[in-house]
Formats: sequence, C-alpha cells, structure tokens
Amino acid sequence: MEKAIVIDMKNLTKKFGGLCAVNDFTGHVKENQIIGIIGPNGAGKTTILNMVSGIYPPTQGEIIFKGKDISKLAPFQINHLGIARTFQNIRLFQEMTVLETIMTAYSWRAPYHFLETFVSLPRVARFEKETKEKCLHWIEKVGLGNEAHSITQSLPYGMQRRVEIARALASEPTVLLLDEPGAGLNQSEIHDLVDLIQGLFTELSLSIMLIDHRMDVIMRLCEWIYVQDFGKNISQGTPEQIQKDPIVIKAYLGEEIINA
Amino acid sequence: MTFYITVAISIAISSIAVLGTFMLTGMNGLFSLGQAAFMGLGAYATAILVVNYGLPFPLAILIAIALAISLAFFVGYATLRIRQDFFALATFGFGQAMIALLTETVTITGGAMGFSNIPRLTSPALAFISLAIAIFFVWGFRRSHFGKDSLAIRSNELAAEVEGINAFKHKMIVFVISAGFAAYAGALMAFHISYVEPATYGWILSVTWIIIVFFGGRDSLTGTVIGAIILLAAPEALRFTTAWRILVYCVIILLIINLRPRGLFGTWEISLKPFLRFFKSKKQQEAK
Repeated sequence: MEKAIVIDMKNLTKKFGGLCAVNDFTGHVKENQIIGIIGPNGAGKTTILNMVSGIYPPTQGEIIFKGKDISKLAPFQINHLGIARTFQNIRLFQEMTVLETIMTAYSWRAPYHFLETFVSLPRVARFEKETKEKCLHWIEKVGLGNEAHSITQSLPYGMQRRVEIARALASEPTVLLLDEPGAGLNQSEIHDLVDLIQGLFTELSLSIMLIDHRMDVIMRLCEWIYVQDFGKNISQGTPEQIQKDPIVIKAYLGEEIINA
Repeated sequence: MTFYITVAISIAISSIAVLGTFMLTGMNGLFSLGQAAFMGLGAYATAILVVNYGLPFPLAILIAIALAISLAFFVGYATLRIRQDFFALATFGFGQAMIALLTETVTITGGAMGFSNIPRLTSPALAFISLAIAIFFVWGFRRSHFGKDSLAIRSNELAAEVEGINAFKHKMIVFVISAGFAAYAGALMAFHISYVEPATYGWILSVTWIIIVFFGGRDSLTGTVIGAIILLAAPEALRFTTAWRILVYCVIILLIINLRPRGLFGTWEISLKPFLRFFKSKKQQEAK
C-alpha cells in the first residue's frame, strides 16, 4: 500500500534581502518515513527546516501538512498540529532540570486558566502530576533515566541532545524535524544516537525529516534523500542512488576528483 | 497608630507591587520601567472615585484594578512583541507619559500639588492580609506550568515557541497581572498615607522594585519578600546615619550584587515540609 504524504513542500523559496537561501525546493515526507536533506554548509538545509517549523515564513511556495497550508502559522501553532523539532546548536533552558525542561512541552495542553493557579485549585496540581509521569516516561525512552533531576546545562553534550529529542517527543508529534542531531558528537555517541532514532521511528511510527552532513548517519537512516547545494536542489533519490550520483559527488568533493 | 506600624504597613503595601515586579522582571526577565505608573494609576483612580464621586472603597479599588489591567493590555500589545531592551525603553516612555498626564490634568488630579485629604481607610489588617494573599497567588502561579514557562521563555524564547508555548500570550498574562498588583498596591497606599502626587510614581520607583527583586534573588519568592522587607525598611533603619543614608544603602546593594550575584537567597525557598514533619513526629511520640 502506498504511504500517504504528511508534509508536502511546494516550490519553497526563502530570500534574505538579496541572498536566496532556498530556491524553489519541492519535496515531501510520507507517513512513517525518514527523509534526509544533505548538502555542504550554506546549502539552505536549516532554512528549509525553519520554514517548516514556522520560525520564518517562506518568501514563496507553500507547506501542506495533512491537507492544511501551514506556511503562515507561528511556531507554537505548528507544534500544536503535531510537528516538533530539535536545534543544531542545542537550545535548552538554563537552570532547569531535565524533567522541568521536558514538562514545558505539555504546558499548552493544560486545562486550567491562570486565575485557577492563584488559588491552587486541585486540578492544577493533578495536571502537573500527570505531566510529570508522562515526561519521566519520555526521559526513560531516550535513555536519561538517571538524569531526570540533573540541571540540563551540567550534562555532557550528547546527553543534552537527548534532552532536546525527549522535549520534542513530549509534544507527541507525528512529524519530527531533526537539525543535525549528530553535530558535535563523537563516533560512539553518533552510533548510539542513530540507534535511538531508529528505535523511536519504529516504535512510535513517526515521520522524520533529518538534516546532517555526516554520510554515515544519513545513509543508515534515510529512505529518501534530497541533496541541496547553494540553495538549489541538485539531486534526490534513495541512499544507493545518491552515493553513485556524479552531481552529488562533484558538489561534495569538487570537480578534480571526478576528472582524475 | 505608632510610627512602627505605619512603616510596617507601607512596607507591606509596597511589597505587593514588588511581587508584581518579581513576576515580570524576576521570573520573565522583562524590565518594565513604567511599572510604577500602574501604581500611580491605581492610587489616583481609587482616590478620585472615593473622594470626588463617593464610591465605596472596595468598589473603587476594583474599578482601579480593572482600569490598570485594561491599560496594561494596550501597552503590552504594543510593547511585548519587541525585543527586551526596547521593551524597557518603551515602558519607560509610557511611565513618564502617565506622570505627565497626571501632572497636567490639574482639574481632576490636582496636578503637581498632588491630591490630598484621602481618608485613611487602609487598616493594618487589610494591608497584611493583602500581602499574604498576594504571596499565595504568586506561589500558586509559579508552581503551575506558568512558572516553568516563564523560565523557559526567559532563557530561550525561540525554543519555548517551537515546543508549543505562545510566548506573547504568556508575557501578556504576566504583564497584566503585575499591573493589577501595582494598581492594588497604589490604591492601598493612597488610603494609607492619605495623599498622592505624580512624581512619586516615576521610573525611579520602578527601578527600586527591580533592585529589590535582584537583591533578594530573582529566582526566589522567599528572597524577594525578605529582600523587599529589608530594603524598604533600610531607609528608615538607616535614619541615624543622616546624610550618609543613601550612600550606605547603595553600598549594601553593591555588596550583595557583587558577593551574591544571584541575590541574597539564590534559588532557595522556604518550605513548610520540615515544620509539618516536626509536628507529625511530635504527635507520634505523644501517641506512644
């Protein structure tokens, strides 16, 4: 059976003044599929993710999520629809524990009004308690079971990345956007991370959009790959096709190698 | 009424306004230099409604708070989307504009001469109970998800937005609450000292509150309350140093900020649990 398209990106273009960061990108993510976007630095990979997560609106083009145009929505609205993301340069909250950080992902679901918190109605405490249990479950899932009450900033880099992933999962998304999850990690950490992503993907039947320029990560995880260079889409295909594509090799390694 | 009780009431009332600043500047990192203007609005509105229009005191307070909240909504709508440093400037402008307005509308407010002969309706009980309730409100707000959201937005607004928090709405809620606190404090203050003048509610007062919050510890409710009591009492306690008063006051603040950058109390909170446990164990012993 053919899988349904979850996110459909049509002719996405983003210009910053005279600079065209993304030029006419078209692509899609299907249900329960991992796609990858690769390309050298400055190829506009993160810009695509930023447009999908609503951080800035596209100059042109549209993003259809489950039949709805989301290209003009604010980040929090897109999150509510079921798209969550992580950042390349980890963005955690200072001075908060792992548990507290992840609990904030549930805030918008709170059933109570702020006036109820003034008089500490029982359902405020009840919601906090339920949220805490759910979050402990996510913390366990990303393998940080012993660190729930550690301050996030005191954790090693690899663990901080896992906190970000847990926070994204706590939004209970259907689509997960991962912006260079392997950045700044060593070889064994990357290996564990790929296993983690693979495991979550299978268990939660997520759709994942992944950016990275580490080939081992991309090749192991992705079902379909888009290759970006200077804002343009130069190729797409399965990992095997991409590895053999002369245009991709040229963009990555330069002209001389091919000629030699 | 003795001198000490009068001072204590003033401190309790001002502490309510400081709690508003604690929510806004301490928890959310929003520096409002126009916060005192809401206190001025509360003071004037209540005084005018009671003295000139003969409204009952509680009703006048409610109207004054409603006025401050509505005004905060408009000011917040215009300023809360801009960057935090510009927010400080914009609220500074708003605050000073309010002072100018109160000074110029001589026929209603009495202008720079102030508005006097306000009945002393703020009893000690009213002031102290109000402070206790205000502390309870902030405590409840802070331990709900709003407390965590505040910290999240303060430390990384983009990340907070991306995980589903409507940062603008959140900041609006906090701004409106803090304006309400300031207005209530203003109403009580006017009916405590029986006199209001515009100059009191300028940016210096807003800054004083911010200093108190950072002095006590912007991450500690306990610290803010104790900091408020210490720093609001200091000018009175330091009276014997006469002309050196301001200098000594400043040195104390500088020492605290340099020696304890996170404030006197850091993130420490007073907890009732040890007390409860103590009483429980006593009961058990008695039972034995």
